[in-house]
Amino acid sequence: MTKYAVRRLLQAIPVLLGISVIIYSILLIAPGGPEARFAQNPRITAAQIAAFRHRWGLDQPIPVQYCMWLGVCGDKPFLINALPGGTIDLAGVRIELPGGDNGVLHGDLGYSSTDGRSVAAVIGDRLPATLILAGTAWVIWVIIAFISGVYAAVRRYSLFDSAITIFNYAGLAFPTFWLGIMLITIFAGTLHVLPAGGMWNVRVVPPFGTPDYWAYFGTHPLAALGDLGTHLILPVFTLVVVSIAYDSRFVRSSMLDALNQDYIRTARAKGVPERTVIFKHALRNALLPVITNLGLEIPFLFTGAFVTETIFSWPGMGYQFILSTGNYDYPVLMGLLSVTALVTVFANLLADLMYAVVDPRVRYD
Amino acid sequence: MDRNIDTLLGEPVVIDLPGPEPGIPDFEVQLESLSQWRLAWRRFKRHRLAMVGAAMFLGMCAVAIIGPFLLPYNFYTIPAVDKVVYAGRPPSLAHLFGETGGLQRDVLTLVVNGARLSLLIGVGASVFSAILGAMVGGIAGYFGGWIDNLLMRIVDIMLSLPLLFVILVVSKFLGNGNWYMIMAIFAVFGWQGISRLVRSLFLSLREEDYVDAARAAGVGDLRIIFRHILPNAMSPIIVAMTLGVASVIISEAFVSFLGFGVQVTQPTWGNVLSNSLNFITLGNWWWPLFPGLAIIVTVLGINFMGDGLRDALDPRAKE
Repeated sequence: MTKYAVRRLLQAIPVLLGISVIIYSILLIAPGGPEARFAQNPRITAAQIAAFRHRWGLDQPIPVQYCMWLGVCGDKPFLINALPGGTIDLAGVRIELPGGDNGVLHGDLGYSSTDGRSVAAVIGDRLPATLILAGTAWVIWVIIAFISGVYAAVRRYSLFDSAITIFNYAGLAFPTFWLGIMLITIFAGTLHVLPAGGMWNVRVVPPFGTPDYWAYFGTHPLAALGDLGTHLILPVFTLVVVSIAYDSRFVRSSMLDALNQDYIRTARAKGVPERTVIFKHALRNALLPVITNLGLEIPFLFTGAFVTETIFSWPGMGYQFILSTGNYDYPVLMGLLSVTALVTVFANLLADLMYAVVDPRVRYD
Repeated sequence: MDRNIDTLLGEPVVIDLPGPEPGIPDFEVQLESLSQWRLAWRRFKRHRLAMVGAAMFLGMCAVAIIGPFLLPYNFYTIPAVDKVVYAGRPPSLAHLFGETGGLQRDVLTLVVNGARLSLLIGVGASVFSAILGAMVGGIAGYFGGWIDNLLMRIVDIMLSLPLLFVILVVSKFLGNGNWYMIMAIFAVFGWQGISRLVRSLFLSLREEDYVDAARAAGVGDLRIIFRHILPNAMSPIIVAMTLGVASVIISEAFVSFLGFGVQVTQPTWGNVLSNSLNFITLGNWWWPLFPGLAIIVTVLGINFMGDGLRDALDPRAKE
């Protein structure tokens, strides 16, 4: 098992390198390049642009630039840079680490070209909002999908089963962004009962994430939670409706698989009560693939709410991505892509390992 | 003399046997030969939901092709209105789907004209990505070894990226609002699923006897891949391609809706929706409703059709 885990971990390294190459290529196809912002300025001479390019290593060959962005090339000899750098303080004893300290490998994602903040800070600011929205929706739809999927499988071909199937077809056909627009039109534009977007009521509550917000949260906990809740209703509903379909079908077919096994017939033949057969014999075995599937959905918490965030102006990572694309803010774009790809790779790894742990039949070869 | 033979399908097939002629022994039988595709078409025709889906999708294609000629309004001329209502006007007899806010455009005209590019991009991108996926998957599955390893790692890499993010950025940087560029971008980032599918099919099909026979006869690798194995892997590819059209239509609508896709001067369903967000709090439900319904009808039709195709082309795969 340990051997299997280590091998899977090692296999992830070339995949991560490949991802970094693709993300870096996206930067290369971007129009203009970093010096584009000087093009309109008549006071900046060609010599100054050349000096700028030299200062930031833009006159180097592209593979070298990539190597520097990654943090493998730099001031120190090749590969030494990739090691951890800086100094650490161990109970008063300061240890100088040999490696470098900039580049993606060292967690240095660069600085936003729009407001100069570090990319890590920008992502850190946006992450909580995304996790709140996607996490809430995820918990709700997993519970609904689980209950409806199991029930539909147990009562196969019943009215409920058909109703769920129709609902799932519809859920798969609804464009997420359109559902969001329609909900806003109805509940904010016509009925005026819910906010059209955003995460807090700007007239009453300070911006989310600021110290003021937490101070307000401390003094008016109920009002703050209620405000957050009313802003959550529409985006969470949108996410749940369009996301239930896949999971619900998955649970249903997994449960049907389990119910068709020989040991279920044996249990029924022995006179085990139907309730015990379903919840103890079938459900437990149906859970295996479902758990793996849940592991594969972890990246969703980071990227899945992307469309919904955009429609509802929810200040999360997806919303930031749209803003940065519009502003040609490459460092932030690359940072967001890197972080989400990293999460995806590790979620896949986790799902594989989890499956190997829960299902002893999996062979590690 | 007539004989009734029940086929596996349960439909009686009348076989006309020539009567015994003098001097010719009676063993030559003429059978109506049914190709695999004819059989599949029979099964498809019997799948009611699939036929409904096909009607929905083909109906939308018909609207896209001839619809713009039948409408009283032209997409490229902005109507002169006697009275401007900022929020637009609800559906009326002259404007069945209502009028948009701002420029008071006829929503029906926008939706019908939008069908052309939306469907074209959806179908075109899916066909191209299916071709790409079949080529990559076929080569990986047939040759195996390091080629397979390399190609499948590339697929892993692309599937680890948040593809909608990437498509959005690349459309913004390279698309320039050209619909064929957007179509190409969706094709380039959409083939990974199909290539995995084709690879797994090729892994089993390459062990078949007829492949050995072809190889023994001196047929080249590429010819074996495309002429001998690929036709046998066609059914799942067609199903995946059909379902792919639906997802491209939805994603393209979203990308265009954000203004990163096809330029606004050309109608697509996403573009028709794009400006509606600015008027959203005015309660003009008819503006976003109808383009969205057009997308839903098309996508539902394609999904029904895809499920029917799956049952028709591969009857063993039925649940």
